[in-house]
Amino acid sequence: MAALLRGLRVGRALRGFGSGEPRLATCPQCNGLRRGFHCAALRLQEDKDKSIPVPPSSAASSTTTYHEHYQAHPSKNNTATHMQEAPAPEAGAKEAPQPNTSYADQSGEQGEEYETEEQLQAHILNAALDFVQLHGWTLEAISAGAETLGLSAASSGMFQNGAGDLVLHFIAQCNAQLTEQMAEQHNQVQLGQAEPKKTAEFLRDAVETRLRMLTPYMDNWPQAMSILLLPHNIPDSLKHLSTLVDDIWYYAGDRSTDLNWYTKRAALTGIYNTTELVMIQDSSEDFQDTWNFLENRIQDIVNMAGAAKQAASTGEAVAQGLLGAAVTLKNLTGINQRR
Amino acid sequence: MLRVDHAGEYGANRIYAGQMAVLGRSQTGQLIQEMWDQEKKHLAKFNEILAENRVRPTLLLPLWNVAGFLLGAGTALLGKEGAMACTVAVEESISEHYNSQIRALMEEDPDRYVELLKLIKEFRDDEMEHHDTGLEHDAESLPGYKVLKGAIQLGCTAAIFVSQRL
Repeated sequence: MAALLRGLRVGRALRGFGSGEPRLATCPQCNGLRRGFHCAALRLQEDKDKSIPVPPSSAASSTTTYHEHYQAHPSKNNTATHMQEAPAPEAGAKEAPQPNTSYADQSGEQGEEYETEEQLQAHILNAALDFVQLHGWTLEAISAGAETLGLSAASSGMFQNGAGDLVLHFIAQCNAQLTEQMAEQHNQVQLGQAEPKKTAEFLRDAVETRLRMLTPYMDNWPQAMSILLLPHNIPDSLKHLSTLVDDIWYYAGDRSTDLNWYTKRAALTGIYNTTELVMIQDSSEDFQDTWNFLENRIQDIVNMAGAAKQAASTGEAVAQGLLGAAVTLKNLTGINQRR
Repeated sequence: MLRVDHAGEYGANRIYAGQMAVLGRSQTGQLIQEMWDQEKKHLAKFNEILAENRVRPTLLLPLWNVAGFLLGAGTALLGKEGAMACTVAVEESISEHYNSQIRALMEEDPDRYVELLKLIKEFRDDEMEHHDTGLEHDAESLPGYKVLKGAIQLGCTAAIFVSQRL
């Protein structure tokens, strides 16, 4: 029975895999351990008298596909390149932590019926966020969160990365929220229901919105930042940061395809990081100092861009002037007349 | 994949610009200008596609900027045959590259990539046209044609390889 359940769960995990959830890039052995805890957590749930439809044929086929999946890790790279070519924005990948409702409908959503391992983890981490103020960004918070869902505290063992998982989940969630808001604004502008904002204003609003999502956790945020700087978390946190900045520029209207693409994103990354640091030690009313700092930094960038443009046009004017002088000289000395 | 195409068109643009800078006022100027205009159209199209699909442009664009211009100007200094030989070599590399992309797309999922396939086929045909034009205009009569062609094609392969990753 447990094996059948396991097969069903991981089969649905495979189908819910969709467009490349980074979390599943761990080794199969670790996943075995996680599934062990997962099953322990699930047995607690079974006591709650839920009937889970188990079609035997799908369980059998899903176990085989599960094995295929774990032997074919390179296929993830293919989906990554598909992501680049398909018109879907990259922000779509960030929506993965949210529940896959199409499968939930199949078996009837009854309170805590979880379809996939990721959804279960996402639910636990969401619940754990409430305990961050109490326990900080730690496994205790995750355990406390798991307990509120009726699972045993040991299910925090599902998270190989511990507090890192919690922080990364939180950032992913914040980024997804921000992207949703920006997409919504974008739609409204397209429908003509709202005025498009100027770039500087848009950037400021976007960064402010995103940083305001941190305010409930501001006391423990330095701890979260240091967790993100741990070597094994750096690739993930950098990826989240770069996707965030790319999304913000995209919705700000940037469509550049030359070196500006890089300079703009680098500039915004700098602004975001420094503003975050300022925010941590800001004790003013409603973080007003932080927003002032942000405003000034964005103004700097705008000024620099303006100055760069001016320098370029000055350079062009000077070059043309020189060319004109050269031609005049050639005329005067009669070189041109030898043609 | 789109990044490499974009970089390729950008480079081709700069090569023709270099050739024009040297040969612009000679008889072949007209011909080179025509081919250059077509490349400009290709580049504009790729700029659009890149922006739509939110693909990162290659970091090496400034490098291709300078390198392309130097290549174009350098071969043009060898005269009309040099410029044509450069065109032949580059267009052959690009056509081959497009062909392999078409093969890859067809293998994966022709229905999904219908638009892209059509576009790449069209561009590949244009590039082949340039290649044939180059041949018509005495590219092969350049002394050391084979050597130059080999060298340029090696450079192109290296550029494609790097742009895919960077």
